[in-house]
Amino acid sequence: MNALKKLLLALTSTLALAAFAQHDPGTPPAVAAKVALRGDANGVRIPEMRVVRRNDILIAQADLYNTVNTDRTVFYRYRWLDSIGSQVGDGESWKQMTLMGQAQQTVKSVAPSSVVTDFRLEMNVELR
Amino acid sequence: MSRLLSSALLVCATLGLAACETRNIVSSPVVRFDRQVNYGDAKAVELVTNEFGSTDLQMIAEKMVGSLLETGIFQGRPTVTISTVKNKTSEYIDTTNVMNSIQTTLVKSGKVRFVRSINEMQQGVDELQRQNQSGMYKQSSTAKVGKMTAAKYTLEGELTSIVKQSSTTKDVFYKFTLKMIDVEEGTIEWQDEKEIRKSSKR
Repeated sequence: MNALKKLLLALTSTLALAAFAQHDPGTPPAVAAKVALRGDANGVRIPEMRVVRRNDILIAQADLYNTVNTDRTVFYRYRWLDSIGSQVGDGESWKQMTLMGQAQQTVKSVAPSSVVTDFRLEMNVELR
Repeated sequence: MSRLLSSALLVCATLGLAACETRNIVSSPVVRFDRQVNYGDAKAVELVTNEFGSTDLQMIAEKMVGSLLETGIFQGRPTVTISTVKNKTSEYIDTTNVMNSIQTTLVKSGKVRFVRSINEMQQGVDELQRQNQSGMYKQSSTAKVGKMTAAKYTLEGELTSIVKQSSTTKDVFYKFTLKMIDVEEGTIEWQDEKEIRKSSKR
């Protein structure tokens, strides 16, 4: 009976883990809350995000750091939200970026209007 | 006994999943023929060839709009018009597409007022003539001639490319430069550029 319970527990945990995207452990929880990661981080960490309101427009920047030696292809875009969480605008286009091994790049975007108060960074990481 | 229980559990789970799938298959409200067409994501990265494409257009427009909004140059909602955007590449590229995207986003931001460009003026003149000279409209309701607001700034730009190829690689480097010029003073009040590199194996 114990063996059966262990098997069930193992199966359930594996399925549960597989269902959710895996942020890199080095990504702080506050940053991870602003990132909609599709799939695994594959070694790409986001150590810092900066948001500033300049001239009544929100500007967001995120530092992407590749923790492994091999290159990664990152697809990303920003999604802008208003004060109640509704999307503002039709959405940005996806951008493709090569992140070399052990390199850091900053991805920046400017909100399309002054009603934007929040954002999410959507991204997925491909192995090159 | 425990091995038997495990196997039974696995079989039940598989059957359960299969049953769910069968119940949830429904048809979609589409008309399909042998050669199927599907709608794609207009915001997706287009990697069909290394010629100028939709993603390049979108990236350029987003960068230029972001840069304009960030600088705060649109204090007081000035009037702006689109001037020429030269295509200096060897490809056929409709640069009005890029400027339309930029103009659409800027108008939606509410930070700037666009006025008719040179290319759009004739339609405006035709409409004014129709209202004022056709004799069909009440004088109190017609738009009066000589009341248009002129542009304070004009947006001008150009798109250039550098193409290099070897036996294995083709590399295309695009550079889009956009300037905002004060019409009266002739000064360049804002300028930015977007560089794009596209490489492909030959």
